Amino acid sequence: MNRIVLRRLAQVIPLVLAVIVLNFVLIHLAPGSLFDVMTAEQQISDPAMLDQLRHTYGVDQPTWVQLAKYIWSVMRLDLGFSYRQNAPVLNVIMDQLPATVILMLAATSVALLVGVTAGVLASVRVNTIWDNLISLAAVFFFAAPSFWLGIMMTVLFAVKLGWFPVGGMRTIGAGNGAFADALDVMHHLVLPATALGLFYAATYARVMRASMLEVFRLDFVRTARAKGLSPSRVVVAHVMRNALLPIVTLLGLQLGTILGGSVVIEAVFSWPGIGSLLFDSVMSRNFPMVLGVLVLGSLLVAVANATVDLLYLRLDPRIRAR
Amino acid sequence: MSRFSRRDFLITTAGAALASSMAEPALAGLETPKRGGTLIGTWGGFEPQSLFVPPGGGSSPYFTSTKVLERLIRLTVDLKFEPVLAVDIKPSADFKSYTIKLREGVTWHDGNPFTAEDVVFNAMQYWKPISAGVSLDALESAEATDPLTVVLKFKAPVPEFFLKSVLAGKSGLVIPKHIYAGSNIITNPINNAPIGTGPFKVKEWVRGSHVEYLRNEKYWNPGLPYLDRLVIRWWRDPASRAAAFEAGQLDIGTFNPIPMPDIARLASGGKIIAETKGYANSAWVTTIEFNQRRDIFNKREVRQALMQAIDRQFIADTVFFGRARPSLGAVHSSNTIFFTNDVQDYPFDVKKAGKMLDAAGFPVKGGSRFKLSLVSAGWFEENIKIGQYVKQAFEDLDITVDLAVPDRATSLKRIYSDYDYDVAISNNSGGIELIPSTTQYYTTDGIVKGAAFRNATGYSNPKLDEIVAKMTVETDEPKRIVLAKDFDRLATIEAPLLPMVDLEPVTIVRSDVRNHSATADFMGESWAELWLDR
Repeated sequence: MNRIVLRRLAQVIPLVLAVIVLNFVLIHLAPGSLFDVMTAEQQISDPAMLDQLRHTYGVDQPTWVQLAKYIWSVMRLDLGFSYRQNAPVLNVIMDQLPATVILMLAATSVALLVGVTAGVLASVRVNTIWDNLISLAAVFFFAAPSFWLGIMMTVLFAVKLGWFPVGGMRTIGAGNGAFADALDVMHHLVLPATALGLFYAATYARVMRASMLEVFRLDFVRTARAKGLSPSRVVVAHVMRNALLPIVTLLGLQLGTILGGSVVIEAVFSWPGIGSLLFDSVMSRNFPMVLGVLVLGSLLVAVANATVDLLYLRLDPRIRAR
Repeated sequence: MSRFSRRDFLITTAGAALASSMAEPALAGLETPKRGGTLIGTWGGFEPQSLFVPPGGGSSPYFTSTKVLERLIRLTVDLKFEPVLAVDIKPSADFKSYTIKLREGVTWHDGNPFTAEDVVFNAMQYWKPISAGVSLDALESAEATDPLTVVLKFKAPVPEFFLKSVLAGKSGLVIPKHIYAGSNIITNPINNAPIGTGPFKVKEWVRGSHVEYLRNEKYWNPGLPYLDRLVIRWWRDPASRAAAFEAGQLDIGTFNPIPMPDIARLASGGKIIAETKGYANSAWVTTIEFNQRRDIFNKREVRQALMQAIDRQFIADTVFFGRARPSLGAVHSSNTIFFTNDVQDYPFDVKKAGKMLDAAGFPVKGGSRFKLSLVSAGWFEENIKIGQYVKQAFEDLDITVDLAVPDRATSLKRIYSDYDYDVAISNNSGGIELIPSTTQYYTTDGIVKGAAFRNATGYSNPKLDEIVAKMTVETDEPKRIVLAKDFDRLATIEAPLLPMVDLEPVTIVRSDVRNHSATADFMGESWAELWLDR
């Protein structure tokens, strides 16, 4: 077990380095630069001022020097300074990180809960009206664009029924202690987490159903039934546990993308997450910010992978033998 | 819609005595403003990169900073200058120096007094080198002759309307000397929580969500602002803004906050109003420009022919749902001071355009007259549609068109840095004053490689340069207007770059929000006089 953790962590350094170099090159290959965007927005034409800004942003140096400087500063755990936000990269990311993590974890929980339940239900009642309804819903939620779903949910639950607020994460200026604040955030969280969660749930439901049906056919399930276990015990303790492996794989993949947030859902619900930050940073070629998010993201992927490996061990002891 | 009483005086004629009338809430008659309440506002764009971006930074930081930072004067919706931090601005007889009298008893949000030293610092350290740029080229010195008087000295005569436009414009924000002196103004961390003299103080900025302002209890204009609290929130999606209006969670949105087709539906209930006033001093147009570095477009007849090949009424009606109109000349039609309709018009006429191209030496050969690369700047969604339409319109003339709609950064680079286009579709927003925001698209000194929203066509005409040079120093207003109209006529007939449509942005506002439209530039309103009738 320790070996797995160590092996995964050892992969982090080359991974982060590759992420930096690759994305640095990609951003510099894209036409236009942060300098162009900033000076255009600021309508600067004075050559002296342009030179001063070139120097301030560090774009007067050769590209490889910029890259080397960036790698050096990341090695010292400094993600650099974003001239666009006029603040250190880490501060800006940390400002928006909690919102992103809350939304993505909530959405993932919704997805797991709804997806796994629906998948199990569909497999137990295979080829009945239940199965068909669940399949239909899964196709619908997977195919429906999440912005459309988000807007429709807003129109119904926020505008017509008035149950939930139209976007945002907190009631502005409420501030009545931690408990009230948590309730307030949860109130705001319901719609975006559901809209995003149902999209993921569709995949989970499909995978879970297929996986369950496969396990149902195996010999040990027949044995379990033969020795007189109740149907629910067979499903929960024997079939489900063995069918969960693909779900864990999916979950691991998805946890890796948490830091990226969801640009679309964040836009529709004006959720203050990292997705929009990343999107804006790419559009303005703000490479310290883009790289900052990606470096943290790659760390998270490494951690998520290690966690998934450990979970496998727990769910399927046979893996340990290899 | 504006219930604001029109205080029709020019600041030149308004002495200190008149200025004292500013001390009272100047809302004669109609309704008595109510104090208190929270206003939730937004605009048709995204969160700013920083609450205040000293060199400008676009509309979003302008929107957030102007609630906190004030200017010496402001331009009202009926295009008159009114005192704000200055009570009087007087030119000398030769217009080479201006004496600015400042308001007494103004303090910064941190309690320090606002004095002439602040204005001197702004003029020499902020406006001239950073925000106003070429506009203040002629500024030689600024001197505080007493704590409330500043004298600006210029190398050449400076027209009064011009200088006041600069001071009342986007670049004229007044920042505190005691905070910025000795630091790099552009990267000073205070820009994320600016300190000003304005009616609102920054309380908190939650990145990705909103900024909250509280009433400045020590505002120099007693009784103002009427609001207790102001919140600017950002929705990234126009449809969500429309939903927020419907759910009553949003009071005002400037600059096209919601999808155009939704406007009529929302406004039909009477609870929500669509207001088109207040955009004159930041008038948006969609332009078409022809790269003079290409032999084909160096010919005036070709440019004129292509102008006639475009049905601009169609663009206005279909792409903008009627929230735009075909432009006439180089000046936006809402500019009641400098606009003239005595200019060359380019009515839609494909046949005539074809004949002009034949005559210019570009007949149809092998199914095509010539090939051109069309770059439509992808920063507005409308530009995608306009690009596609213009491509079709040119193809109807048997021109082969290679259309690209690149993203923002790429568009900037292709059009303004690399000049990598034959025909480009772009946008700009100009002030009432034409120098330099409009003229720099045509003058030779407007060609600055790598500097965006300037002369990217490479057009150079000594005659036009001369007219603009005269306008720069002409201090007699009527004569200056004649020169401006000469400029417009020449620019329009030459057509290196012309507006295709004048955009008519709307402000969406709840009907119980009063006095939201005092100045000619809504995005830069301080909203001190805004009040809620609820």
